[in-house]
Amino acid sequence: MTYDVLRNSSGVVSGESDLWCTYAAVRTLTWLGRIGDLPTPGTVGGFLASRQNSDGGYAWSAGMTSDAWATYYCTQAMADLPEGSRGTVGKPSSAWVWSAAHEDGGFAMMPGQASDVWATYYAVRTLVEICDERPPEALFDWLAALQAKDGGLAWSPAHAKDGASDVRACYYAITAWSTATGGQGPLPWDRERLTNWLKDRQGAAGGFTFQEGDGTDCLWATFRATSALRRLDEAPRDPERCVAWIRGRLRPGGSFTRWPGYPVPDVWAAFCGVGALRELGAGLEDLADRVVEAVLSFRTGQGGFTYRTPGLASDVLTTSAHLLAGHFSDTGERDALRWMESCVLPNEQGVMYMPGRGSEVRCTLWALSAGAFRDDDTARAGIADWLAGSIQNPDGGFGYWEGRASDMVSTSAAAEILHWTGGSSAASLRGIAEYVAACETAPGQYANVPGGRPTLRAALQALRALHRTVGADGARVGDALARHRVRGGGYANEGNRVPDLLSSYEAAVAADTFGLEWDAGHLTTFLDSVRTADGGFAWTPLMATSGGPLADCLGRRLELRLSPGQHGLPPLALS
Amino acid sequence: MHTVDRTEISIRVLALLEKRFGDAARSLAPDADLSDALPGFDSLVALEYVTAVEGEFGFEVDFVGDDVRYWFSTLARTTEYVRERVEDQAA
Repeated sequence: MTYDVLRNSSGVVSGESDLWCTYAAVRTLTWLGRIGDLPTPGTVGGFLASRQNSDGGYAWSAGMTSDAWATYYCTQAMADLPEGSRGTVGKPSSAWVWSAAHEDGGFAMMPGQASDVWATYYAVRTLVEICDERPPEALFDWLAALQAKDGGLAWSPAHAKDGASDVRACYYAITAWSTATGGQGPLPWDRERLTNWLKDRQGAAGGFTFQEGDGTDCLWATFRATSALRRLDEAPRDPERCVAWIRGRLRPGGSFTRWPGYPVPDVWAAFCGVGALRELGAGLEDLADRVVEAVLSFRTGQGGFTYRTPGLASDVLTTSAHLLAGHFSDTGERDALRWMESCVLPNEQGVMYMPGRGSEVRCTLWALSAGAFRDDDTARAGIADWLAGSIQNPDGGFGYWEGRASDMVSTSAAAEILHWTGGSSAASLRGIAEYVAACETAPGQYANVPGGRPTLRAALQALRALHRTVGADGARVGDALARHRVRGGGYANEGNRVPDLLSSYEAAVAADTFGLEWDAGHLTTFLDSVRTADGGFAWTPLMATSGGPLADCLGRRLELRLSPGQHGLPPLALS
Repeated sequence: MHTVDRTEISIRVLALLEKRFGDAARSLAPDADLSDALPGFDSLVALEYVTAVEGEFGFEVDFVGDDVRYWFSTLARTTEYVRERVEDQAA
């Protein structure tokens, strides 16, 4: 695959700051000793603080549920900012982190979910580095169980039994151990087998890959591998070639790019390039000025950062939303689809939210729904292989990305994708049904994760996932819709009083999927209550302004469903 | 509620906002848009606001039929909405 289409952009730009990019930018400047170059650090602090929820945790986007990933990124980036621009952080975040601790010694991304090494790493760093607290003693037994037969470390103890080692899992586990012990405690793994596995991921050119069998070295894997080795007082087999490979990713006059052939410098490449050279003890003086200049050019008007020059920083969800809402001309549509189809990593075949980020299940469903890979059987088969062959969790469910614990949103999205791509095995379908069963709280009622609170959307997503796998009873869907039908119009996720666009969309999709009749007038009344003055749609009747491109897309698709043409609703999952 | 007095309703609604927003609510103009005037007044806070008004005055809001985004967008509109609902209840 070539990535020239990414050099410019024919996707849609949201113009918004992104938490992941803001964290990477702030850390890169800090590592270069250049955080003082940030023109208005207070605006960055304001953006980060806006992600905090009343439970003390932080969320990827304002209004979403808190998770360990966002909580670490926000609090760490705030700690890096100059004094006076940091906002407030402390005990409330600590209490939230402890609420996601699991009795097995690991941490979950959000309370109720299973432990995974991503979440455990984020939680341990937040507790120790930000809150000055100690993680639980049981952590070390949990970390010890991550070592797979090949010597590498896996996403969870269950993944380790399946032998799925990954450089990122090694980095997260080793850093969690190092953070918790100051690097002084007994190592919970067989050291020689672990370091050999890590060193074996270095290719002949000098860069690293994530997993055995991956074909393309990448800067992300190279940073994680060199960092993990340094925490073990080790180095790559060929450090000089590694440094040369990293420096080979620099664009003339610009910053770092991700892998050979990738044309665009971006914020995560700058983070990984600077981080890896720092871990290897290589000099940064000659490149610091141009990296700082590039990173600062990624600032947005909102106060944070996006992944590249804001005017070209398209993302897959926004682009899909515009396509699904019919906002493109024919030519623009073809270009936008081609742009989304290039948002695939060399070693992971799903679609990314932003180029160079890990492939994500929800984004892949949105891109496919919008028409990506419609006529590309090879790509569709690759997506099916990636889902069922690489990222399905041992509990049968799916998380947002590889290694993240399962949730119903991702599992339902995966079931839809597997149905469309036709690549599902009986075992993967059975696994989905097993995960869905684990989320059932009462007959016909489901939560997003096992042991969670039942909601309408989780129930409908569960029943649609069963419909795509082992079959489901439409009467259960009818019962769920009746329980959450709001008298005045629309459907509520919890109870039956406050309707919202996402739940009402999910209700219509589920009713259509199971062939249930529904009341068009009831839905029309609800849509009227969320339509905004500018022709967009709010997430709830409580807000007067549009919820952004994703809300506008769902509202527009419901309008089309209600139109005389009765256009079908794509089975989009969001939260 | 024994009377339909706008001033009393306004004071009680403002007290609910002060509980959540402190000083920012104390200087609130009756016609100020709450989402502009009060920091963090997003859809979740708006929901809490409506729920608090329901609890204070003892009625249920119809989230679709009552055009909540209009009636709960300013202190003055909320006061008027509450007054009409209380009158309806008394009738």
